Amino acid sequence: MRVGEIVESNSTGFVCESYELNRPPALGSLVKVHVGEARDLYGVVCYGETGSLDPGRRAVRRSTDEVYDHQVYRESPQLEHVLRTEFTSVAVGIVERGIVVQGLPSLPPPLHFSVHTCSSEETILFTENLYYFRLLLRASGPVAVEQLLAANVREVYIERGSDEEWLREAAREAASLLKHDYDRLMAVLYAIQPVR
Amino acid sequence: MPLRLGSIGDGVERMVEILAAEERSQWVERAQRLLHDADPGDLKAKLRDRRTRVPWLVAIPVSSMDDVFGAPDCPSYFSVVAADGSSVPPDRHSPARFYVLNTGRAILTYGERPSAVLDASAQFHFQMEDLYLYPSAGSFPIEGARLSAKMAVAELRGLREATERTETPVAALRDGSLILWGLQNEDSRVQQRFLREFLECLDDFQNAGVPVVGYTSLPGARDVVNSLRVWLCQAEAIDCANCSSPEAMDSCKALVTILDRQLFGFLKAGERSDIFESTSAILSEYGDHRIQFFYLNVDGEVVRIEAPQWVMHDSQMVDFVHSVLCDQCRRSGVHPPYPPALQEAHEQAVISITDRRLVEDMVDRALARRGIVFTRSAKDRSKRRRAV
Amino acid sequence: MDGRRLGVVTDGGFNTGLTVRLDADCPTEDLRIGDFVVVEGESNRYFSMISDIQLHVSDPRVLASPPHDAPPLVAQALAGTTTYATVEVKPMLMLDLRPDLGEATRPQRVRTIPMHFAALHRATEMDFATVFGKEGDRNFAIGTPVSMNIPVRLRLDRFVERSNGIFGQSGTGKSFLARLLLCGIITSGAAANLIFDMHSEYAFDKQTEDGRWVRGLRELLGSRVLVYSVDAKAAARRNVDVTLTVGLNQIEAEDIMLLADELDLTATTAATAGLLGDRYGGNWLRQLLAMSSDDLAEFCQSSGAHPEATKALQRKLRDVQRRAYLKEDVPFSPIDEMVTALGRGRSIILEFGRHDSPLDYMLVANIVTRRIRTLYRRKMERFEETRAEADRPPQLMITLEEAHKFLNPSAARQTIFGTIAREMRKYNVTLMVIDQRPSGIDAEVMSQLGTRITGLLTEERDIDAVLTGVGSRSFLRGSLASLDTCQQVLLMGHAVPMPVMVQTRPYDEEFYQDIRGSDQAKELPDVGIADIWAE
Repeated sequence: MRVGEIVESNSTGFVCESYELNRPPALGSLVKVHVGEARDLYGVVCYGETGSLDPGRRAVRRSTDEVYDHQVYRESPQLEHVLRTEFTSVAVGIVERGIVVQGLPSLPPPLHFSVHTCSSEETILFTENLYYFRLLLRASGPVAVEQLLAANVREVYIERGSDEEWLREAAREAASLLKHDYDRLMAVLYAIQPVR
Repeated sequence: MPLRLGSIGDGVERMVEILAAEERSQWVERAQRLLHDADPGDLKAKLRDRRTRVPWLVAIPVSSMDDVFGAPDCPSYFSVVAADGSSVPPDRHSPARFYVLNTGRAILTYGERPSAVLDASAQFHFQMEDLYLYPSAGSFPIEGARLSAKMAVAELRGLREATERTETPVAALRDGSLILWGLQNEDSRVQQRFLREFLECLDDFQNAGVPVVGYTSLPGARDVVNSLRVWLCQAEAIDCANCSSPEAMDSCKALVTILDRQLFGFLKAGERSDIFESTSAILSEYGDHRIQFFYLNVDGEVVRIEAPQWVMHDSQMVDFVHSVLCDQCRRSGVHPPYPPALQEAHEQAVISITDRRLVEDMVDRALARRGIVFTRSAKDRSKRRRAV
Repeated sequence: MDGRRLGVVTDGGFNTGLTVRLDADCPTEDLRIGDFVVVEGESNRYFSMISDIQLHVSDPRVLASPPHDAPPLVAQALAGTTTYATVEVKPMLMLDLRPDLGEATRPQRVRTIPMHFAALHRATEMDFATVFGKEGDRNFAIGTPVSMNIPVRLRLDRFVERSNGIFGQSGTGKSFLARLLLCGIITSGAAANLIFDMHSEYAFDKQTEDGRWVRGLRELLGSRVLVYSVDAKAAARRNVDVTLTVGLNQIEAEDIMLLADELDLTATTAATAGLLGDRYGGNWLRQLLAMSSDDLAEFCQSSGAHPEATKALQRKLRDVQRRAYLKEDVPFSPIDEMVTALGRGRSIILEFGRHDSPLDYMLVANIVTRRIRTLYRRKMERFEETRAEADRPPQLMITLEEAHKFLNPSAARQTIFGTIAREMRKYNVTLMVIDQRPSGIDAEVMSQLGTRITGLLTEERDIDAVLTGVGSRSFLRGSLASLDTCQQVLLMGHAVPMPVMVQTRPYDEEFYQDIRGSDQAKELPDVGIADIWAE
């Protein structure tokens, strides 16, 4: 499913404008860009933001006792045209004809290309190998890397149909990568506990 | 160099003292009392009398002086169309003479299926017939007041075109006055040229039954106050140099400092004043579209709403306009409120400095490709380079 | 469990041992100090022992706020990453894996170490067989490793060719272990045995502390075992083959020296025996016992012996003389006949019956052994002349309990046992000493004990003593200290390629069956005793 268009692109990732206002793909989920024939660049959503198209304008309070939430948008139909939702993704690998290579792409994705959500099968295939965790832990951005990793693990866990075995592996990989940063590691491990 | 603020600071203090002076608020109250006391019939007669030569711009009450009207209910389904314009004026430093007009529009529909359409259209004018009113003579270049008038026409055209596409009921808004002040001192040929196009649009609106309205925020007008001064004056002919009534003269002088929006400060949120007729000279050319106005409290400020008389004579249209404007201000996110339609039209229209420079660069590069390299004036160059 | 990978080598040195980081799924509790493990290097397999187990964390912050009540996901994620364990491993032997050497390779001394990330595995049955030898008649299965069910074999021929020791606190099963070994040695024919059975427990069935009956060697092995006794009365009751008497003529001055403590003699007094011996030769004791006070006085004057000392000596020895097994003059032939029987493959158990005081034990053992060694030396010298196989004296192992009485630093210089221990295998006579106080044994003697089998020892000096002259002492300490009180021993030395911790097999029905079953080849005809010497 197409969810956005790339408006900034570089070697480590890309920024997209989301097609639907206030509905970017979930933090930590996998997205892909068709960069070539049977060649997709995969990214993990690491940030989302909704604000004015024009950087000089700021959102103001528009709700009242009677009008709030979705009603606000009905009341001021111009909002959908002057606001936009953007999301940033960290590049984590390339999948070409079913072969997964995790790492930074050789080329940044083309500007204005569409970004799609990944299906369950695609997510399962990509996450068989957990090497890409290293790229997530190196991402720079407003979201703390341990929170990003935890968000990704949660999303993938569900896409994989509550795969307990994979979750254990992910926890171990996180522990191995964060063995010298106990506090961060604990933050991740407790954040990925499945809610019972 | 940076402005020397020391001397300015003292002046600011003194000015603010005067503004804050107690007497001023007292005078606003006295003016309001005058408004309530004044007899509209007498005043109208006085103002209409040819012998009364009034050196100030006055407003003629259509019925009462001080009636107030509460905001009627909004229809459940309606649209608001607004237009605004901005320009890159002709640059005397450039060998290529051109100007850009950017007209921004917003069409907001409310009700069951709310929607919004925001657009802008830019026109690049470079042909002789666009640059000069009389191209063969090279006279009456389009700049300054003429450019403003051309822009006003473009806005009105944009509004008209937008309302054609919109289902009724619809109100058309323009930021600022509908009275083309700037043309007052122009040659009559210039006036005619612009007025013709302007009034054609107004004809179309009238034929379509769509009210078109000028919205002025923070109005600086004082034509109703001036009418009160006439009311005060006992003499047949207004001769301020030889004022016959000293008591009245004090009041009169005090009234000079008061604006209409202060006068109508007694309006409660959502209330409008009664309708007044503007006596601006240019309006003699307006025919059926003579402009009338009322003041409206939008719950944050008192604004001046102008419309052609065919709108103001139609009580349904007036109510519609009144309710729509109040509704718009209710939907505004800012304080004091401002109609979102006008806000968005403005945003669409605005040309930033970067945009402006982009256009200039485009032109420069195109010229350069043709081997035309021009020199700017020394002053302009020094402004751009700002060398030390 | 067999052959499972435990971890990888991450650090270490030739002298210090290797550090192995345990895999996340290998808990420390699966391993024990002293376990036999194998490190797979590129070119060699290293047969090693675990000498230490340690815990680590990769981030010290864990120590400050350890997770408590951690959900299982958190706990299993931390295990092996933030928290991990290492074991210290000491390679003991290495096996060259190069394919060109094929089957001919044997484990050798460790001369190098493996590289990083070499894998550590539990030892398999194959590994045990490679190191400790396969089943064979001189490879005696003495027990199993503590947590496995694979037999650990002792090489009996190497065991008997040097003196060796069985140590451990009282109650650690030394006598059962001795029985096991003796059965093995006797049935395999590795050596002839002479056992000085102080408490008459080896020959016949005996009831243990917990009421079980254990078989005697005579019952198990039949006529391969001869039973002698110095207690005539007991001999009559039990099935003793020969009653031994000892003559005063056989007692020498050195015996008195040895018995100085038992007889409560001062050094001077004991030394007087030497003076008497000088004067009277082999007859000195009878002379002394027959002396009157005047004779005594005269003797002292002429020899310079101390009169009081001499009197004391005479007094004490008169007590000794009253022992039932002591006669005036006894020929050496019964002892010589013992040697003949031993030469024909028999084993002899010498019981003491009611004469089981340390004094009797030491006196008799010393006399008998002295005579035997003299005979053996002669035989050996003749064999060296003739070089005929028939003249080669068979390996003889003498089992000695309470060894510290015979081998303490002062006695060791004087007794025949000290001589035998120091001579090693010069005359094919060796000792098997059994003791609970190894610190009482002379250090030089201790260092000559080729194989040591040790149960639990708690005294520091005993542990030090037992490890005298053994390489890699410090980590073997850890192994020693972790032995169970019962049936667990550490085997080290000449008869095993590398030290190993063993759960000794029980001395029970199953063992009896095994022994009888394996005892085929050397079944000797059940002949009358007298005929033995007649052959």
